[in-house]
Amino acid sequence: MYGSVNSLAMIGLEARQVCVEADISDGLPVFDMVGYLAKEVNEARERVRTALKNSGIHMPPKRITVNISPGDIRKNGTSFDLAVAVSLMTAMEMIDPSMTGGMMIFGELNLQGKVMPVPGILPMVIEARMRGFKKCIVPLDNVEEGSIIEGIDVIGVESIEETLLYLTGKILIEPVKNDLEDLLLKNGKTENADFSEVNGQQEVKRAMEIAAAGMHNILIIGPPGAGKTMAAKRLPGILPALSSKECMELTKIYSISGLLSNKDGLVTCRPFVNPHHTITPQALSGGGTIPKPGECSLAHKGVLFLDELPEFSKSALEILRQPLEDREVRISRTHGNYIYPADFLLCAAMNPCKCGYYPDRSRCSCTESDVKKYLSRISGPLLDRIDICVEASRMGFEELCKSSEKNESSETIRKRVEKAAAIQQERYKGTGIRFNSELRSRDVEKYCRLGKKEERLLKKAYEMLGLSARSCHRIIKCARTIADLDGSEAIKEMHISEAIAYKSIDRRYWNG
Amino acid sequence: MDDIRYITGFEKEFPEKLKEIQNPPAGIYVRGCLPDESKKSVAIVGSRQCSMYGAKVAEYFGSELAANGVQIISGMACGVDGISQKAALSAGGSTFAVLGSGPDVIYPKCNESLYEEILNEGGIISEQPPGTAPLPAYFAQRNRIIAALCDVLLVIEARIRSGTGITVRYALDQGKDVFAVPGRINDPMSAGTNRLISEGALIALNPDCILRDLFGSDASAENTSGNESKEKKIPRRAGIAGKEKVIYDLLDMYPKKTDELMSLSGLTLQDVHDALLKLRLCGLAQECGKNNYVRKKL
Repeated sequence: MYGSVNSLAMIGLEARQVCVEADISDGLPVFDMVGYLAKEVNEARERVRTALKNSGIHMPPKRITVNISPGDIRKNGTSFDLAVAVSLMTAMEMIDPSMTGGMMIFGELNLQGKVMPVPGILPMVIEARMRGFKKCIVPLDNVEEGSIIEGIDVIGVESIEETLLYLTGKILIEPVKNDLEDLLLKNGKTENADFSEVNGQQEVKRAMEIAAAGMHNILIIGPPGAGKTMAAKRLPGILPALSSKECMELTKIYSISGLLSNKDGLVTCRPFVNPHHTITPQALSGGGTIPKPGECSLAHKGVLFLDELPEFSKSALEILRQPLEDREVRISRTHGNYIYPADFLLCAAMNPCKCGYYPDRSRCSCTESDVKKYLSRISGPLLDRIDICVEASRMGFEELCKSSEKNESSETIRKRVEKAAAIQQERYKGTGIRFNSELRSRDVEKYCRLGKKEERLLKKAYEMLGLSARSCHRIIKCARTIADLDGSEAIKEMHISEAIAYKSIDRRYWNG
Repeated sequence: MDDIRYITGFEKEFPEKLKEIQNPPAGIYVRGCLPDESKKSVAIVGSRQCSMYGAKVAEYFGSELAANGVQIISGMACGVDGISQKAALSAGGSTFAVLGSGPDVIYPKCNESLYEEILNEGGIISEQPPGTAPLPAYFAQRNRIIAALCDVLLVIEARIRSGTGITVRYALDQGKDVFAVPGRINDPMSAGTNRLISEGALIALNPDCILRDLFGSDASAENTSGNESKEKKIPRRAGIAGKEKVIYDLLDMYPKKTDELMSLSGLTLQDVHDALLKLRLCGLAQECGKNNYVRKKL
């Protein structure tokens, strides 16, 4: 007596098709599972046996072998439980083998026989559809997540009994369908933090608008309590709304990390990830024997906010260089390479010195060398990838208590950002570039032509302010974004001078 | 370090001024030369963590005094000391550093280039033998030598409790004139100098005050360099107009933030940035810290 069902094994974000086979033959009563299984997959044996018993199904006292093939791929996770149970029931001739054809089954079992949610349903459903499967059985709690994929029926089940009834044709469960665009429209705008709540800080708001429009990484410097974190939290809200493709990518990552809430099963807002400064490099990039996405992948298409930047360990910050460059994280392990996307906007915040009040000498008692030492904790290469630098200043009481009605809302700012993003998309069509921040030096020559007057201004600034070639480059890219926000094709003097004001700190120049 | 000389109190070369004080050093180590006793010297001292205001004032006094042939004596520390000595050197004057460490030990490290320059244009003096590490106790002692070597002591900026206070006490004990630069009454960085003034120190409103004290009142009549420099500035400032002028008028020696300038001037953020850049390029404004601006010159 033999039975088999299809399922998927996740390797990072990729899924590999596996076949869960069960055989019941004469011999000493034994229940064995093989197929290069990790501990948690092997434990399915006990879960399945007890769950079946508690659902009123008794396994025959015979020699039972379960194999998950192919045998050379390491199987991890608990999503095979339900598939093992169904293949056993098929082998026990309770289910007709034709019922499970063209179907994939995922789900964990508890001892009562209930089907528990598992991470990674979205990428698995996507993979199942790509492989031509017509139907998926998933835990009821995960059904919303899988339901956004078109062209495949996603059926949520609650228990083994229900599964059995469904597969024997005794009950009918309607597949759940959800439209991604509708969900995005409905949920995409629920932001709980709005820029209208931030009083004053004109400069920070403006800098954030520019950062959002051109996807420039940004560094906010300011004394403690000036509102750096408050402003940063509102940055995702002014980024252009998520497209359905971006939403899918993001949901995939959150799905395999098991971080999706059951309610809507989708990530509809741009993420804001705020790791503590004691974070290890592995937690930031993704790690473990079977690497899970790290914080910088969880910030994919959103904002990675590093508060107290100099307090982060050097090795953790160095890890960020590769994702900032390639927009993905590559992790190598003995059993394979894992690639997680990590296309985020880096927003960092720091105090200007150890005590936090420089250059206000009435409060700051750091010596110049203390200030320099504090700044030098941030590595140059990381600083090179930050285009915009701005100061959040302490506000006066009047400003603090002003009514927030007059402030611009995130919605208004986002409209402008979206317009600028559209201009960039149009300009860089077919070049693989999406935002001004991605321009390389030869692209800068092509897309950021300066007029005579502007060139003269930049040249003078280059000489007088001791700019480096690299910072000059960043200024032009930033000026390009400011011009795009302005709706101007040409970069004007005004745009350059504003970009210079936001130029990132450079240690030599810090003390004036 | 072959060029370090040890000069005992019995030698002719030993500065007269040092012999006059109550507890003269038995001898001093010198690299470079000693101050010319026929010329006037002013000691400029002040806080190591000076504000932008202090830095600018130190620069102004250092260069103006040096341009008038006054030797600048100081401690080559961070902040006021180093800035005034640097300014004196770039004005073509000579300056002497009295160290709290051995004459070959450069402390603080950030003033290494200044040390080399002082060697060429003046001298390094120390009571401690070569190789001595900079210990706190030596600095109070070296302050008495700074006070002894000058004709006039000028305090730029000091908190209430500071090492500068020690130098002032020595100078008063030795019967030297003490000048202090006034500051805002609520500024802790100027609290020390303001108190000195209330206790009877002379007020240093400009370098002329000190030149008058050094050379007598007639000297300053001939010496109009202070006025000249003011006249020089006027045509430079006349070049700016419109929003640049508005912003320049709002700037002073205390760092102002762009948000502040924006609300004070009523200009848009973009206009403020534009004006500030133009001012920076004309050498009239300067960024200190991120998005904090001051005037470049007094």
